[in-house]
Amino acid sequence: MNLVWKLLRRHISLPQFAGFFFANLFGMLVVLLGVQFYVDVAPVFSEKDSFINDDYLVVSKRITTVGTLSGRSNTFSPDEIEQIQVQAFCKSVGAFTSSKYKVSAAMGMQGAPAFTSEMFFESVPDEYVDMQTDAWHWTPGDDVVPVIMPRTYIALYNFGFAQSRGLPKVSDGLASMIDMIVYINAEGRHDKFKGRILGFSSRLNTILVPQSFMDWSNSHYEPGKTDEPSRLIMRVYNPTDERIAQFMQKYGYEVEDNKLDAGRATYFLKVVVGLVMLVGLLISALSFYILMLSIYLLVQKNTTKLENLLLIGYRPSQVARPYQLLTLSMNLAVLLIALLGVWCIRSYYMNIIQAIFPQMQVRGMLPAATIGAGLFCIVSCLNVWAIRHKILSIWYRKE
Amino acid sequence: MDTIRLQQVLPRVFQKQPALHSEVWMQDMCFEKGRTYLVEAASGTGKSTLCSYLLGYRRDYTGAIFFDQADISAMNIAAWVQVRQRTISHLFQELRLFPELTAYENVAIKNELTHSKTRDEIGIWFERLGISDKWDAKIGLMSFGQQQRVALMRALVQPFDFILADEPISHLDEHNSRIMGDIMTEEAQRQGAGIIITSIGKHMNLNYDKVLKL
Repeated sequence: MNLVWKLLRRHISLPQFAGFFFANLFGMLVVLLGVQFYVDVAPVFSEKDSFINDDYLVVSKRITTVGTLSGRSNTFSPDEIEQIQVQAFCKSVGAFTSSKYKVSAAMGMQGAPAFTSEMFFESVPDEYVDMQTDAWHWTPGDDVVPVIMPRTYIALYNFGFAQSRGLPKVSDGLASMIDMIVYINAEGRHDKFKGRILGFSSRLNTILVPQSFMDWSNSHYEPGKTDEPSRLIMRVYNPTDERIAQFMQKYGYEVEDNKLDAGRATYFLKVVVGLVMLVGLLISALSFYILMLSIYLLVQKNTTKLENLLLIGYRPSQVARPYQLLTLSMNLAVLLIALLGVWCIRSYYMNIIQAIFPQMQVRGMLPAATIGAGLFCIVSCLNVWAIRHKILSIWYRKE
Repeated sequence: MDTIRLQQVLPRVFQKQPALHSEVWMQDMCFEKGRTYLVEAASGTGKSTLCSYLLGYRRDYTGAIFFDQADISAMNIAAWVQVRQRTISHLFQELRLFPELTAYENVAIKNELTHSKTRDEIGIWFERLGISDKWDAKIGLMSFGQQQRVALMRALVQPFDFILADEPISHLDEHNSRIMGDIMTEEAQRQGAGIIITSIGKHMNLNYDKVLKL
């Protein structure tokens, strides 16, 4: 094989192959980076809420200027609740109960108080909260109250307080490290409870406590006071059902839906990444074209030698092999260098992403590696096939 | 393979030639293993064409050619590779050597494929043919006569049932063509092979079993 290689390597043009190599490297890098970036960043937008299921919608009445001035009620009457209940898209509906007494809470970390603030509590029937029942449970006499906080609080804490006071940042898993003391003031009674933060929800903009605590505390601190609910939680069969939107529109209700924004952001991310990848693929395709031209030119210049080798008994596969190995090794080098490049760039941007979203799960480089390996296989197969085809055309003297 | 049989074979380019007097074209004839043939012809009568048919790199003929009982038009690439490596050795008129390689490398590139001779055996041929000093010389720098001797050696480093030498001594003197004839005959006899030599006049002095006019 050495002598064959000695013959066939003649006329290999370094500038042409270098041109292919760098063009392909750049294209591959862009494609792989696009894939990897999408996979890394998409979870930020489509994060699942572990407490409130996707098929739960929170419904409230639209607050308008006219409504506020005219003193129109923003609460749902039992009739209105009944009317929602009977809709075809609705599986079940539950009401938010809000606290009718004054609450304030002090939060801190490792015994150091961070901030104190006035608060309010809300509760929904326990069946709407996806959590193990023993954790989401309160019985009269317990001085620890389980709490689910809005996710915005974690950002407030991480960037507002932890940053400036040198306190550790917390992620979902470390929520229980936050100390929370709840003070209830009502009609001259002052009680203190310990809050245990079970987690953070991005779908409920409220501080959620178990229904049992809410029922007990409302009747204990403000007996006799009842209010109609201003927000409802609704379980639906299909959250994308058009009839939901039509119904809400018709009665002037609003669905709190941060999923929609996330959906849009994911969509734009997809479009941008898709465009970038398209450009990368285009560059890759062009570089592939350069390679094929170079190989064809090389084969053309070496036609006599190839023909002579075939005539003295070399198999077409034997004379094609040096060129096939040449392109395979170049493709492989491109793949490995591109993956290395993606790894370097990724470790840079992942630092930033993780600083902003500490709770996000980090995935590996498998997606980029898979796509890269796939591209490598496709391009290499095409190369191998094209070279063999070219050699066979010499065998059949089609030139 | 024991026979090469031609059945009414005619190159397509000759189809319009009205009066063709040939002992090969448009005949039923047979080359047999172990015998020596001389095909004599004026230039342009299709000597190299005949060789190219037998080596499978041209197919522009009418009629049929058989290796033993097998019609060669049905042979696939693998079968032709086998023929070129093991059955028919061809000494090309245009030599088809590689000018970038040295004399020895030109022989070795075929020997690497067949592993039929040792380096020493090839060395002895170089000496007998009087070009042992050209062992490491680039083919491009050698005379055509010297190249013909290298091409002969390359043709002999393989097992064969027939050796097809297309004007092998066109550029050689009496002395060297005799040595070449000796080596070729020795090797053919050792393998029990047939020899087919074409010539436009000047030809090796061998004991021909049959002389054919093309």
